Amino acid sequence: MITATTLITVPLIAGIVILIVPFAQRLAGYLALLVALGMVGAVAGFVYRFEPMAGYQFGDDAEWIPQLGIRWSVALDGVGLALAAVTALVVACAIGYGLWARRDRTHATFGLLLITEAFLFVVFAARDLFVFYVGFEGMLIPLLVLLAVWGGDERRKATVQVVAYTAFGTLLMLVAILWLGLTAPDGPDFSMAAAVGRGNDLVFWAFALAFAIKSPLFPFHGWVMPAYRQSSPEVAAVLSGVASKAGGFAFLAVLVPLFPEQSARYAWLFIALGLIGFLWGALLAFRQPDGRGVIAYSSIAQMSFVVLGIFLLNAQGSTGATFQMVNHALVSAALFLLAGWLESQAGSGDFRRLGGLARSRPILATVALVLGMAALAVPGSSVFASEFLILLAAFADAWWLGTIASLGIVLAAMYMLRWISAVLHEREGDLVGQLRPPDLRSGALLAVLPLALALIALSVAPAQLTERVDPSSQMMVAGAFADKEAR
Amino acid sequence: MIEAPNVVVLAIAPEISLLVGASLVLMVAAFLRGRDRGIGVLLGIAAFAVSGGFAIAAWGDPPVVTVAEALQVDQLTQAVRILVAGCGLLTLLVALGWPRMREAGAEYAAILLFAATGMTLIAGSNSFLTLFVALELFSISLYVLCAFDRSSKASLESGFKYLVLGTIGSIILVYGAAFLYGATGSFQFDGVAAGLAEAEPGAWLVALGVVLVLAGLLFKIGALPFHMWVPDVYEGAPTSVTGFMAAATKIAAFVALARVLAEPLAPVRDTWEPVLVVVAVATIVVGNVAALVQDNVKRMLAYSSIAAAGFGLIAIIVGGEAGSRALLFYLAAYAPMAIGAFAVITLHERDHRGVTTLESIRAWGFERPFAGLALVVFLLGFAGFPLTAGFLGKFLVAGSAVESGWAWLAVVGAIGSVIGIAYYLRVILALYDRSARSGVHAAGAPGLASVSIAIALCLALVIAGGALPGIGIDWAGEAARVLAAGR
Repeated sequence: MITATTLITVPLIAGIVILIVPFAQRLAGYLALLVALGMVGAVAGFVYRFEPMAGYQFGDDAEWIPQLGIRWSVALDGVGLALAAVTALVVACAIGYGLWARRDRTHATFGLLLITEAFLFVVFAARDLFVFYVGFEGMLIPLLVLLAVWGGDERRKATVQVVAYTAFGTLLMLVAILWLGLTAPDGPDFSMAAAVGRGNDLVFWAFALAFAIKSPLFPFHGWVMPAYRQSSPEVAAVLSGVASKAGGFAFLAVLVPLFPEQSARYAWLFIALGLIGFLWGALLAFRQPDGRGVIAYSSIAQMSFVVLGIFLLNAQGSTGATFQMVNHALVSAALFLLAGWLESQAGSGDFRRLGGLARSRPILATVALVLGMAALAVPGSSVFASEFLILLAAFADAWWLGTIASLGIVLAAMYMLRWISAVLHEREGDLVGQLRPPDLRSGALLAVLPLALALIALSVAPAQLTERVDPSSQMMVAGAFADKEAR
Repeated sequence: MIEAPNVVVLAIAPEISLLVGASLVLMVAAFLRGRDRGIGVLLGIAAFAVSGGFAIAAWGDPPVVTVAEALQVDQLTQAVRILVAGCGLLTLLVALGWPRMREAGAEYAAILLFAATGMTLIAGSNSFLTLFVALELFSISLYVLCAFDRSSKASLESGFKYLVLGTIGSIILVYGAAFLYGATGSFQFDGVAAGLAEAEPGAWLVALGVVLVLAGLLFKIGALPFHMWVPDVYEGAPTSVTGFMAAATKIAAFVALARVLAEPLAPVRDTWEPVLVVVAVATIVVGNVAALVQDNVKRMLAYSSIAAAGFGLIAIIVGGEAGSRALLFYLAAYAPMAIGAFAVITLHERDHRGVTTLESIRAWGFERPFAGLALVVFLLGFAGFPLTAGFLGKFLVAGSAVESGWAWLAVVGAIGSVIGIAYYLRVILALYDRSARSGVHAAGAPGLASVSIAIALCLALVIAGGALPGIGIDWAGEAARVLAAGR
């Protein structure tokens, strides 16, 4: 019987085995890819079997540390399943790309990516605060090692910054979790259900800070740029594509349901920060000199937009936020892989030295244009659908809020169009002239294509996702929504 | 005529095994002149196993006060006996990897057995006289062990420094016990407790006695302001001895401190509690900050062990059932991490033929994948990452603090842990620094298998303690009940 526990243990054990057992390099890579594809299959099975109205499913609940009231309690609802599905897909594509790029030390890179995947599943499925913490903190270790060992020239600085930010946030959250779990009325109980509505303001802020850093939400984004710039493309794809979703997911699935009263009271602050981050990130993305910079700042902007959607505390906002997280995971992972491919082929991601790549490279031009169009939310695209939902929620809240948020979407169109034209069109850069980077083919194409296809599929049938997500996300914000209405 | 004291032989069988083992080792060694004396080490391992076996067999027996009421044999004593025997066994396995063991193995094993005897006795002491004699027994043994590598100036310096400073610590303790005797007319723990309960509050004799006894024990723990010896002694001592000190000495001294505070000094909590709070905070801060700037790995781990002592003091301050349970689990979790980490350093010292620094350890993780990975796990354990025993230890300590109104101490500990992550990360980064290349000099030298076995055992304990801590928490809880009940 495949349950959420299987989803977690298989990549974890496979990751450790690949990390330790001295397989031949290529064999280790193919094994990792096989496991990652297996996870895609398993999640696809879950998506198929999922009953939207039945709440948490595919769960396991067993005693873990009874002395402390800690249970191994995992299950997926619509929101968790959507993010787990996109995680499985992104990790598989990242491993596929790494395999194509012939990374040295495949054991470590791919083993660690699989372990990251396992911890992300823990985050998305946790129904117990201790379990949640294990996932939230645990995913940091493999990602840090990947960044620290295989990153670019300034990887040391980047690593230290990531640690300083995220460790600080999560450890304060740990103290808050301890408080919640140990002061439960009927003896120690770390289950999320027992924590609903019991936290005070201090506990709320400890959680909020940890999630704001992870997301990242303006102004806690300082660690993001070095980390995204210094990682290898496949790690950056996982970092910005899915690891950052742990923060957004935690806002929606942990913070808001557990602290309905505080979430309603302080929603204005998160909305304000979300708006600032959305506009500010978009403006900076417009000013970046290279592809990775654009994608990284656009990630900050998009995650801020997601937080904005969550804290509107209504059904459209939360469903839209989840949808937007899925879309952004696909877009940013695909774009990071593509930008990484360009850098590795041309030797630089600098816009001034690229340009004119569309000429005689039809596949590259097509894929880049499809992704770019999706990212700037052309009507009909899935990103348009999710952004529309959030905007709808914003207008329902206040007309001026919707108006300002719409401004950010215009900015998004600007930076994406600039990226497309700088890379594909305009004058041929010196690198393009001399080196003649080839067209996007075979391995790299195969790694990016599934992400693009998933985006197209979601554009064609967005209801497949929203139908599954809506009941769950509505449940999550229900408490806070009632509190907000009562004000 | 002097009456023969009442002795329950079976109750002190573990100590007898250790002493008989030590004598046997020395006698056998006398007949092995000029030959391989590794056999002495094997005998020592057997003695530790027998001693630990006796303690395990007696687990759960009703408490006994024996040897003319000098010793109390209860669950707490049994727990320390088991832990110290385990530490001794692992230490001897590590020591076997040290070339000098061929000529001096028997003496090393015998002295280690004497030290272990002192440690188990101090945990069971029922009077300040026993406390002092046991303290001296293990301290003097450790002075010798620190100076054991006579060919190394650093080792001699370490032993001498420990001798001079350690003696001062012992004298302070005796002085304090004398004051308490003056105030209460007893050396027995219950007599002192009864006397202190009746003493007028704020009597200077009592205050002085309490502070001096505390100072003597804090010295052995390595807490501020008596921490100056720790870095020098840890750095200079043979690395297997350093591991033993970090693990076993800490267990013995902490349990002795906990017992003294819970039994004779319980009535004067108001006097010692504020002192310990200040000491704990200062120890955490100074230990962590000083560790940040160390380049010598042994020295860095010495400062980190100071910080760990500060964390343990939080549990001591909290006291009661939850605090004592947390303390015991934390100490038990710390032991395999410390012995394991120093065992890995032993391997590196052999490979590198020199001091282990951040510079000399560069890229070493690629050459010795198992040892490198193990060191990473131990360091993550020190740092308190999930799924390691170290995390559960910190979790329990911080939890007990939060539960009993000392949440701010838990926050101080959490912030200390954030700093901790930074310096552990420095080692991990160096260990897997791709840009450096270091050559293995003495790979495959004999005796390494035993070190690897020790590392594997420590690794198993650290991971088991993190993933399935239930049994450990139960055991710690049973032993802690002694402290919670007081008299």
